[in-house]
Amino acid sequence: MTTLSPGANAPLAQGPLTATVSFTPVAGADLDVSAFLLGANGKVRGDADMCFFGQTLVANGAVQLSQSASGRVVFSLNLDRLDAAVEKVALTATIYENKARFAAFPHLTLSVSGGIEALIPTQGMQETALILGEFYRREDAWKFRCVAQGFAGGLEPLATHFGVEIAAPTASPPATPAPVSLSKITLDKSRASISLEKKGDGDFGEIKINLNWNRPTASGGFFSGLLGRSGGVDLDVGCLFELQDGRKGVIQALGKAFGSFDDAPYIHLMGDDRTGAVRDGEWLRINGKEWRNIRRVLVYAFIYQGVPNWNATDGVVTLFAPGQPPIEVRVSEEGGNLGCCAIALLENVAGSVKVSREVRFFQDQQKVDHAYQWGLRWSAGSK
Amino acid sequence: MAVSLSKGGNVSLSKEAPGLTAVNVGLGWDARVTDGAAFDLDASVFVLGENDKVLNDQAFVFYNNKKSACGNVEHQGDNRSGEGSGDDELVSVSLASLGAEARKLVFAVTIHEAAARNQSFGQVNKAYIRVMNKAGGTELARFDLSEDASTETAMIFGELYRHGEEWKFKAIGQGFAGGLAPLAANFGVNLA
Repeated sequence: MTTLSPGANAPLAQGPLTATVSFTPVAGADLDVSAFLLGANGKVRGDADMCFFGQTLVANGAVQLSQSASGRVVFSLNLDRLDAAVEKVALTATIYENKARFAAFPHLTLSVSGGIEALIPTQGMQETALILGEFYRREDAWKFRCVAQGFAGGLEPLATHFGVEIAAPTASPPATPAPVSLSKITLDKSRASISLEKKGDGDFGEIKINLNWNRPTASGGFFSGLLGRSGGVDLDVGCLFELQDGRKGVIQALGKAFGSFDDAPYIHLMGDDRTGAVRDGEWLRINGKEWRNIRRVLVYAFIYQGVPNWNATDGVVTLFAPGQPPIEVRVSEEGGNLGCCAIALLENVAGSVKVSREVRFFQDQQKVDHAYQWGLRWSAGSK
Repeated sequence: MAVSLSKGGNVSLSKEAPGLTAVNVGLGWDARVTDGAAFDLDASVFVLGENDKVLNDQAFVFYNNKKSACGNVEHQGDNRSGEGSGDDELVSVSLASLGAEARKLVFAVTIHEAAARNQSFGQVNKAYIRVMNKAGGTELARFDLSEDASTETAMIFGELYRHGEEWKFKAIGQGFAGGLAPLAANFGVNLA
């Protein structure tokens, strides 16, 4: 028995071989073993040079994934039957969807018939894709080398390394930025809250909160007369904030409290759309880099001008955080003649951002403050 | 035409290049392409006397002592990653000016912090040593180590030695356990 540690090589017996990868299965982390047939440039010639669960027989059977059970994967190889253009066959192990790192697999070995065993030292390994070993041509004979090197980013960088293009749905590692998603999350009565996972560095990036609403298109006539004394509605966005150090306050155009992005309270109100006609409405920006300093933020909308008729405004608050689908809360209910609507509450729960749908109506901000026990002192203002 | 040597093979440089007075010895390897700590390889030269020990401590030419006391052996510097074309490390040797007491120059390469990084020569791709005529740059001899390297963390790549009036080069490819310190001690260097 020849035991190889990483970097070591050994000659191979002539004729057909089997290569067996053994490991102790880890719950929740699937290990996939694949073989890549490589040319002199270290790349595959095409998809036909990749032997994996989706294509178990390649090169006219010269390389075959012949057995795949929990903790044991066997390849049958007939290297002498390979094209002369194939210089190397690399055996790899990847952890599906990067659910674990190789450090989680304490026993990982690759044995080749003829008495060769490669022990992969996985202790402390951050990789999620590994080149276990490689069969290679050397002076008209095939040899085997234990490699035990890989990529923390998983199958994708590994496949790129070998010149394979992986279709997106096969396995897109979470480490890479998510592609633009058309999906969005709507918080409604059936799903009233969601948490944005705590980031490793505590940085959520720029969290943008948008309030948009429809201005009635009918400029006159019977219905508009019924709907309101004045044609337009001016809906303003604002928020109550409370920082971890106990400081609290209000951000809204009324009273010209626009806040600040870079300094406390790390929340900034951009401009003021008084008609709703500006396509993207009003924006609040939260500096997600400073999220750890923020305890809670209550986003509300209030009708500054016009008669309260919330249903007609079709108001929608959307929260955009980098790398997350947008989270939407619609003001889909009737608020009577109450002029202020608490729409969404953002809370710092152990570093994550918990977003809850509120949609509760109040006479004014002071009543909101009272209902959420914020504890501010209020006086009348104008903008 | 350069002579490509296999492990243990040797070639007479004086015959390959009559009138040879100085050589450049180039050492190279490929940069790591997988994740993890990079390979940082260092070349060292031991100028040995008849007893196979260094002539003096300055005859151990390495990253902290770039030039031998006699000035005839000079390390041109360290390439930390192995990227880029050409040699990763280059050592210039003025063979004609070397004192007669210098019998042999041993070229070794060690992996920096190999144990901590769990690295060995078998994981380094395309390691080689080559000898060039300093005048004109013609390659005289070359030795590719890839197959002879395995779990070693320090390796003697090759040696230049006197054979009568000639200078010869021999491909060694011999591993040495433990790294640079025991290697240097083996050749009689007084280590701090």
